Amino acid sequence: MRLPALLRTKPFRLTLLFLALFAAAAAAFLLYIYVATAGEVVRRSQREIDRELASLQTVYRLGGVDALNQEIIGRAVVGGFEYLLRSPDGRRITGTLAASPAEAGDAGWVNFKIELTSPEGGLVRRDGRGREVRLSTGHRLFVGADVGESRSYVVKLVRASWGAGVVVLVLGLFGGVLVSRNVSRQLGGLNRTIAAVQAGDLQARVPVRGVRDEYDEVAEGLNAMLERLERLMGGLRHAGDAIAHDLRSPLNRLRSKLELALLDVEAGRADAGAALAQTLDDVDGLLKTFNAVLAITRLQAAGEAPDQALFDPGELARDMAELYAFVCEDKGLAFDSEITPGLTVRGNREFMAQALSNLLDNAVKYTPEGGAVMLRLRRRASGEIELSVTDTGPGIPEADRARVVQRFVRLENSRSQPGAGLGLSLVQAVAEAHGGRLELDEGPGVLDGRGPGLRTALVFPRA
Amino acid sequence: MRILIVEDDLEAGSAMQRGLADQGIEAEHAPDGLAGLDLARKGGFDVMVVDRMMPRMDGVTLVETLRREGDETPVLFLSALGEVDDRVTGLRAGADDYLVKPYAFPELIARVEALARRRETGSVNTVLRVGDLEMDLIGRRVHRAGQELDLQPREFQLLEFLMRHAGQSVTRTMLLEKVWELHFDPQTNVIDVHISRLRSKIDKGFDRPMLQTVRGAGYRLEA
Repeated sequence: MRLPALLRTKPFRLTLLFLALFAAAAAAFLLYIYVATAGEVVRRSQREIDRELASLQTVYRLGGVDALNQEIIGRAVVGGFEYLLRSPDGRRITGTLAASPAEAGDAGWVNFKIELTSPEGGLVRRDGRGREVRLSTGHRLFVGADVGESRSYVVKLVRASWGAGVVVLVLGLFGGVLVSRNVSRQLGGLNRTIAAVQAGDLQARVPVRGVRDEYDEVAEGLNAMLERLERLMGGLRHAGDAIAHDLRSPLNRLRSKLELALLDVEAGRADAGAALAQTLDDVDGLLKTFNAVLAITRLQAAGEAPDQALFDPGELARDMAELYAFVCEDKGLAFDSEITPGLTVRGNREFMAQALSNLLDNAVKYTPEGGAVMLRLRRRASGEIELSVTDTGPGIPEADRARVVQRFVRLENSRSQPGAGLGLSLVQAVAEAHGGRLELDEGPGVLDGRGPGLRTALVFPRA
Repeated sequence: MRILIVEDDLEAGSAMQRGLADQGIEAEHAPDGLAGLDLARKGGFDVMVVDRMMPRMDGVTLVETLRREGDETPVLFLSALGEVDDRVTGLRAGADDYLVKPYAFPELIARVEALARRRETGSVNTVLRVGDLEMDLIGRRVHRAGQELDLQPREFQLLEFLMRHAGQSVTRTMLLEKVWELHFDPQTNVIDVHISRLRSKIDKGFDRPMLQTVRGAGYRLEA
């Protein structure tokens, strides 16, 4: 037989287990109470009976059997105990009992029944307990007491405890069902989401109730995980599409160039060696493009640069300044650098070096002779680290700045220069892979027919 | 010079063999990692060129195994992957240099020669001499024909590298990697500019130019 779904849930089973444990503990507890209370009641009556016996024996020692007889008659009127005094041959002399409940010669404790006449005239039997002692003259004295009153108290106590136990069991069962239903509802949302994800829907999310309990924590953790997975999957898909798309046109260009070269060589218009050398150059260029596209898409897909470490960007800036200072001088550009020492940035040094190198390459490439290039490293008031390159070239019109960082976008006046239009895309990808950004601004402005110039800044978050 | 090429791309392997033979370098070719390991264990190679990803045993395992066995033959790693971590893994496994596919032939030959040469010059010199050029590594001073040359620190490093590889072609990429520790190619001809400045310092005023440009490959310092 299958239990209803609710009763098969883990919380409900846990509730049952807990209730079973509780019942066992309660039973043990009751047993202990019973033993302790009932035992104590009997012991107390026995102590009282012993005291009564002792005081009667004192009367006997002082006044003999007659005095004892008188005393018993007196005390029987007061009540509280049952008495029986017998002669040495076992005949009843005096007392409240008709016969002795004790066996002949037995000095131990005995239980017996006390028969009372109720006010209505009926007969009531009650539990009694007592002991018989042999006096020096051979007479036997029995003293007993009614213990039924105390016993019934214990019985009532036990009954009340059982009742309480049943109430607890019922309440516990009811609570268990409530808790199970609650948990089932929570897990139901979770399970539905997992099933949806398994079925391929990466956009499914676990509902969060906003009460900030453990379920919400699990839900939020799972949602964050799904978020990241979805982004990575999207990134990979995008990377594949992008590479395919980006390389198709350069490959087509290469193919038509090769075709034309072959025609020229066959017609004797061109030298085969030169054509091959040109082709080799073109293929090298294509490979460079391929590597750049791969680096960009990998960075974008991963979301963050690999192997990040803390380092001083000043060192990097000085290295690059040294590398490019002569290049600028060679081209008739003034070069200067302002490097704030002692800064720390977190990142992949090689990617950052390449990004900075791309910015410097651009500055050198597009600034006409007689201009200037400036490399600056500083910390912004916000704590961000800024590596900027400023030139006095033609700059980029504001309307084009967003477009120019896209892959393969080359502005009209840059077509005369070599390049595939990937430099700034890579810089942007590197910046974003470090949680930073690439900023493009106007340079120093128009002066003596130059400018307005371009200011490019790599901005990294504080380490 | 004898070279072992371990490369699973047979076409690439035999192209490499031919290219090296053109330079008078004898090369043997193993088509996978295990075959490479067997050949390498026989010994007698000056340099090994090992591909990264191969069937039966990958390049990293091959190099690690050889190094554990005490084989110190210089290894040039080849890989289609150019990522930082790949290069680091390769070098950590015990490779001596790393070249990303696709590479230009002069680049491969220059690096193989550099590795073979490094093995020959085992002794530690404090003074490097190439022709009448003399470099004091401890005093950080350079003289040509007794005349002191004033070099910037980076120029000193650049010249030191060229002198250690005197008579061999060194490529721009090698210089970027070994002197500047940059593992990418800037678009601008930064290396050419630095070389021409160095050239003006060491060759200007002397009859015979030592620092020569090798077409299609890079530079060479000749005694």
